[in-house]
Amino acid sequence: MKILVCIKQVPDMESKFKVAADSRWYDTADLAWRMNEYDEFAVEQAVLVKEQVGDADITVLSIGPDKVKETIKKALAMGCDRGVHIADDEVSSREPFQIAGMIAEYARDKNFDLILTGMQSQDRGSGQVGILVAELLDLPGVSTVVAFSLADGRLELRRELEGGVKARVATGLPAVVTCQLGLNNPRYPTLPNIMKAKKKELITVGVADVLKVEARQQTAKLYFPEKKGGGLILEGEPAEVADRLITILKEKTAVLA
Amino acid sequence: MADMILKGGEYLIADVACESVFTPEDFSDEQKQFAETTEQFVMNEIVPKMEEIDQQNFELVVEGMKKCGDLGLLMMDTPEEYGGLDLDKASSMLVAEKISYGGSFSVAFSAHTGIGTLPLVYYGTPEQKEKYLGRIISGEWCAAYCLTEPGSGSDALGAQATAVLSEDGGHYVLNGTKQFITNGGFAQIFTIFAKVDKQHFTAFLVERDFPGLVVGAEEKKMGIKGSSTTQIILDNCKVPEENVLGEIGKGHKIAFNVLNVGRFKLGAAVTGASKMALVTGIKYANERVQFKKKISSFGAIGEKIADLTAAIFASESLVYRLAGLLDEKLATIDKDIDNYYVEYLKGIEEYASECGISKVFCSEVLAQTVDEVVQIFGGYGFVSDYPAERYYRDERINRIFEGTNEINRLLIPGMILRKAMKGELPLQAEAMKAFESLMTPSFEELDESIPFVAEKVLLKNLKTLFLILAGTGVQKFMDKIADEQEILMAAADIAIQIFALESAVLRAEKALPRFSERKQGLVRAAVKVFAFSASETAGSAARKGAFYIEEGDTLTMILAGVRRFTKYDATGLLAAKRLLAEAACEEERYLFG
Repeated sequence: MKILVCIKQVPDMESKFKVAADSRWYDTADLAWRMNEYDEFAVEQAVLVKEQVGDADITVLSIGPDKVKETIKKALAMGCDRGVHIADDEVSSREPFQIAGMIAEYARDKNFDLILTGMQSQDRGSGQVGILVAELLDLPGVSTVVAFSLADGRLELRRELEGGVKARVATGLPAVVTCQLGLNNPRYPTLPNIMKAKKKELITVGVADVLKVEARQQTAKLYFPEKKGGGLILEGEPAEVADRLITILKEKTAVLA
Repeated sequence: MADMILKGGEYLIADVACESVFTPEDFSDEQKQFAETTEQFVMNEIVPKMEEIDQQNFELVVEGMKKCGDLGLLMMDTPEEYGGLDLDKASSMLVAEKISYGGSFSVAFSAHTGIGTLPLVYYGTPEQKEKYLGRIISGEWCAAYCLTEPGSGSDALGAQATAVLSEDGGHYVLNGTKQFITNGGFAQIFTIFAKVDKQHFTAFLVERDFPGLVVGAEEKKMGIKGSSTTQIILDNCKVPEENVLGEIGKGHKIAFNVLNVGRFKLGAAVTGASKMALVTGIKYANERVQFKKKISSFGAIGEKIADLTAAIFASESLVYRLAGLLDEKLATIDKDIDNYYVEYLKGIEEYASECGISKVFCSEVLAQTVDEVVQIFGGYGFVSDYPAERYYRDERINRIFEGTNEINRLLIPGMILRKAMKGELPLQAEAMKAFESLMTPSFEELDESIPFVAEKVLLKNLKTLFLILAGTGVQKFMDKIADEQEILMAAADIAIQIFALESAVLRAEKALPRFSERKQGLVRAAVKVFAFSASETAGSAARKGAFYIEEGDTLTMILAGVRRFTKYDATGLLAAKRLLAEAACEEERYLFG
């Protein structure tokens, strides 16, 4: 079984972000970088599948400057078999269709049975890449998956929908699955596995070899949301406060409608 | 390159280039991953259970140690042929730093991986390693080390425990009491020191189930309450003859060599604890509002945060510089030679003085940190509901164990003087030159094109000052200098500040081209803040030392030298502190790690 996992390197979300000078993205100076959390679920799921079926081969792919190799190495230490680095210093200016285009171009003739990725990135958060890859490769795509089982060459999946509703979806392979929080608990790479990962193959692909699509959208401006007024603090006796709260919820929101 | 490696103590007379030092900015991807795995493990699996662990729920500690075994955290310093990873010291120090976030748990971890495991690694026979090492590095068995006795702490060789060979020669019978044994409550394997025939100091590998090994009650401690500390009583304890570790009568080598390793690792661990305490203090200062302002915005609080940031930067720079020195030295030893660990330990012993510096300086930075963090918390720092109080209590032991800071301070100049007497360091000749420089006026003009030129000149001067004092002391007291402990302590303080400041300056210089402009400003500020503090501390120690050693005209001359050689133009010090404080409070983190 051939599996592709697509991962992204993102800043530590506890960083203090600043808008970059060109107002198109955040300033990347002095940030610490990690694997996108949702992609960790994807890597873990790939490794779980390999542990289940035994005969599987996992390729992990990431797009970006040289430093994304650090994140690829973590995926290798978690159990992926080989790494593919699409070297692209301009990755932060690419829009989701271009990212998906590069992944699809790389994957097209390689007969992957399963493509896994996070349901979104923690920085751009478009949630489009996985689904676009499925579309570009003409494969079934299932997004925001929180439960995964593989049996007899078919996937039984559970998706998380709006408002706490879940959907059960079944599909054959090959397929693209995007992973949501709750799917699994990503393992910590053990020290021996971190050392073994050093010896795994990590190939670099030039961006020109895989970037064949034009951008369809562009970022006009990146800015912090305007500061809204402070919250409302209700004070008084609990029963009276509760009544006032219910009034406000009825008048100003739809939660009690 | 091998001959280029700085020798132990040589930093006191040499000019060191920044390219030659290892710094946290040089960590490999793998090392960063070791750190990430360790940090995630501690934050997710240990920190949430800290309160229970501190109530001495040792099952959680033992379970945590097993998980460490699964992650490979217990096999870093053990040889590959016995399933270990045999990693470099920078890696194991980085892991020690991250484990320290686990408070009491980290004490169990450090004792196990350090003094618990290393005697067997360094001195065990293949049969002994085969028998025990696998269980130790998997976490199946916890390990402990029994050197101290009720009547012998720093004076380790004054131990009273005895070992007598049975008539059939099959086993030794051990008797005595061992004191303050970390992991005593749950360890399965103990390295125990006792004197064969009341004179030959010897180490033994003793299993918990050997008849006659009795575990005493838990000590009630000031801090690290979740670590197990007990007496181990040997009541005619029968130990098979094949469990003698190393040679009969050579136990002192095991005891001291293992302590060297413990000292540099302790430096790393307390550096991690300092960072954690600092961040806790910063976050509180950002939350706490008085006079309608966050207290972090007040200079009185900001200055503390700036001073601590700079001191921790020095502490961290020192630890990893030493890691780099040790790794370079150890890499020159052929792993296939029969006496690998003999050469290995000689390699570490080369830097015994620096190991002592790491222990003393970094533990005292932690002491300063936790003290100021309690102060930042104000009244809430004094109550147990907030973490500052635990940091304060947990810190205290670090200045006592692994050799008290006093014993280490004596050892710092002691090891250097011993090297000088053996002719390994040209200390006398350099001291003569230094003394002559007292009589020649200086026409120093700073070449501003050199990065950190003011700090480098200060370092050069502090080295001269150390040589003047050490030289004068040796000249006056000759081989009796060892009895002049007050003088040795003062000399140690100067050497410590030199090594710490030099480590900080060299790291900053090396990192400058890799840093953004903003971060360059921050690192320059940290160096300035720490250089000022180092010049003041070294100056005070030097003045004290001068009064201890000399009188009359020579004293006057030396005191003039102290003034001249501790001069440091810290123009912009206040702006530097405010810059550090503002950045640290904005980012709510330690700025350089």
